[in-house]
Amino acid sequence: MIREAMEMPPKGGFSFDLCKRNDMLVKKGLKEPSFLKTGTTIVGLIFKDGVILGADTRATEGPIVADKNCEKIHYMAPNIYCCGAGTAADTEAVTGTHNFCSLSRCNQHVPFYFICLFSANFILQWLFLDMVSSQLKLHRYHTGRESRVVTALSLLKSHLFSYQGYVSAALVLGGVDVTGPHLHTIYPHGSTDTLPFATMGSGSLAAMAVFESKYREGLTRDEGVKLVSEAICSGIFNDLGSGSNVDICVITQGEKEYLRNHMLPNPRTYISEKGYSFSKKTEVLRTKITPLREMVEVIEGGDAMEE
Amino acid sequence: MGDSQYSFSLTTFSPSGKLVQIEHALTAVGSGQTSLGIKAANGVVIATEKKLPSILVDETSVQKIQILTPNIGVVYSGMGPDSRVLVRKSRKQAEQYHRLYKEPIPVTQLVRETAAVMQEFTQSGGVRPFGVSLLVAGFDDKGPQLYQVDPSGSYFSWKASAMGKNVSNAKTFLEKRYTDDMELDDAVHTAILTLKEGFEGQISGKNIEIGIIGSDKVFRVLTPAEIDDYLQEVE
Repeated sequence: MIREAMEMPPKGGFSFDLCKRNDMLVKKGLKEPSFLKTGTTIVGLIFKDGVILGADTRATEGPIVADKNCEKIHYMAPNIYCCGAGTAADTEAVTGTHNFCSLSRCNQHVPFYFICLFSANFILQWLFLDMVSSQLKLHRYHTGRESRVVTALSLLKSHLFSYQGYVSAALVLGGVDVTGPHLHTIYPHGSTDTLPFATMGSGSLAAMAVFESKYREGLTRDEGVKLVSEAICSGIFNDLGSGSNVDICVITQGEKEYLRNHMLPNPRTYISEKGYSFSKKTEVLRTKITPLREMVEVIEGGDAMEE
Repeated sequence: MGDSQYSFSLTTFSPSGKLVQIEHALTAVGSGQTSLGIKAANGVVIATEKKLPSILVDETSVQKIQILTPNIGVVYSGMGPDSRVLVRKSRKQAEQYHRLYKEPIPVTQLVRETAAVMQEFTQSGGVRPFGVSLLVAGFDDKGPQLYQVDPSGSYFSWKASAMGKNVSNAKTFLEKRYTDDMELDDAVHTAILTLKEGFEGQISGKNIEIGIIGSDKVFRVLTPAEIDDYLQEVE
C-alpha cells in the first residue's frame, strides 16, 4: 500500500523509551551530563511603521564563548523574522535531520539520552525554526498570499507544546503583514504573549530596564533602532551570557532591512606592534612542490585529423 | 480485442505487454485542453487554453499554471483535481530537498521525483493512475529546461511540446516554427500562434494562460493585460 495515499500525521515529540534504563544507570553511579544554558539578549519593539528586532551575537558553551559572532535573528518569511534564545545558530553544526519522527530512532542508537537531548536542543531549535519557515513557504504557495505573523505564531507554539518544554526555545517573533505590525514572545512550553516591546534571554532584565524607562508609542525608525541598540548593549555589558555585537532587523510594510553587526561595541583594541615570535620552530630540511593537476595547453586549429 | 479482458486491473499486464489503464489515462489526457511549452535560448514559456464550462464562472479564480518553486512552474492537460495533488506533492518535495541540501532543487530532480510519484500510482493496489500530463518549465544552473511527465511516470526533456486536444496539429506547427536560437519573446509569440491554431472562438487574455521564466530565474504567470499586449503584437 502506498504510504502517501493515507497520510498519517507524524508522531511528534520525544520517545521516552530509554528513561527507565537511564534511571537505572544513574542509580548505579553514572554521572548525568548537566544541561548548559546559553546566554542571550534578544529584544523586539513596535515602532510607528513596523517592528524592530535586536539580538546580541555571543554563543556560549558554559564559560567559553563558542561563537563571537553568531546570528540569532532567523528568517521565517520575507516579512517575518524570529529571534531565538537558547539557540546555537551555528549552521556548521547542523547534521541535517529535519524530520522529527526520526528523533525517536536517534534516541535508541545514542548511548546517553541526556547527551542527545543536550546537543539536540541546540540543533533542534534551529531545525524547528527552519521547519516552520518551510511550512510557511508551502502555505504561501497554496494560498497565494503573504504569510501572517499569527500563522507563524500558531505553528511555533503548537510545535513547542508538543515537545512539552524540552525544546528550550524562547523566541521573540516579529513581522508586518496585511493586518499591521505584530510582536510576540514565545516560551519553551508553548505559551505566548503579544506585546508592544519584549525582551528574552539571560540579558532580558538588563534590556527590559532600558525599554521600560525609554519606550513610548510612535517612535520613528531611527529612534527605535537607537533604543534597541541601547537595550542590547545593556545586555551585552551587564550580562555575562551576552556579548560581542548588536544585530538589528527592521521590518516595515513590504520591506525589511537586516542590519547585521549594526554596532560593534567590543572591537579588539590592542594588537601588539612588535608582533609575536614563537621560538622552537620545526626545521625545514627540504621543499618539494607537486602540482595536483598538470596544466595542459590546448592548441586549437592545428593540423587536425584529416577526414 | 484480447486486451479488454485485462483492462480492469491496473496491475495486470495485457498479453500485448501494455498496461491498459495507463493507455486509458493517456486518452483522458488527450481529451483535456491543449497546453504547450517552448524552450527558448534564454528562457521557457508554457501556455494553456483556459476554457471554462460556462460564462458564469469567475475566471480570475481559476489558475491552471502553478508555481512549484521560485524558478520552476508547471502546466497540465487532463484532470485538474489530479494535477492539484501532484502540484502539492511536488512543492513539498522541492522544499524538503532545499531544507536538506541547502540549494534550490534542480529541475531534473524535481521532475524525477514527481515522475516517481506518478509511477507509484501505476504499481499499487487500490489506486488509479493520474489522469494528467505535466509540462514542467524551469531555469537553473543548467539553463532553461522543459520536461513533459506522463501518467505512466516517464518523462522527457523537450525543446517544444504540446499535449491535450489538437496535439498533432500543434506539434506539427511547433516543428515548423521552432528554431534553436529563439528568444523568449519570440517563443511567447509562437506559443500564442500555436494556441490560436486550434482555438474555437475569440482568443483573449481571459481564456488563455501563459507562464514564463527568463534569465532572471523567476517564474511568473502573465496577467491578462500582458497577454492582451502580446496578442496585439501577434496580430
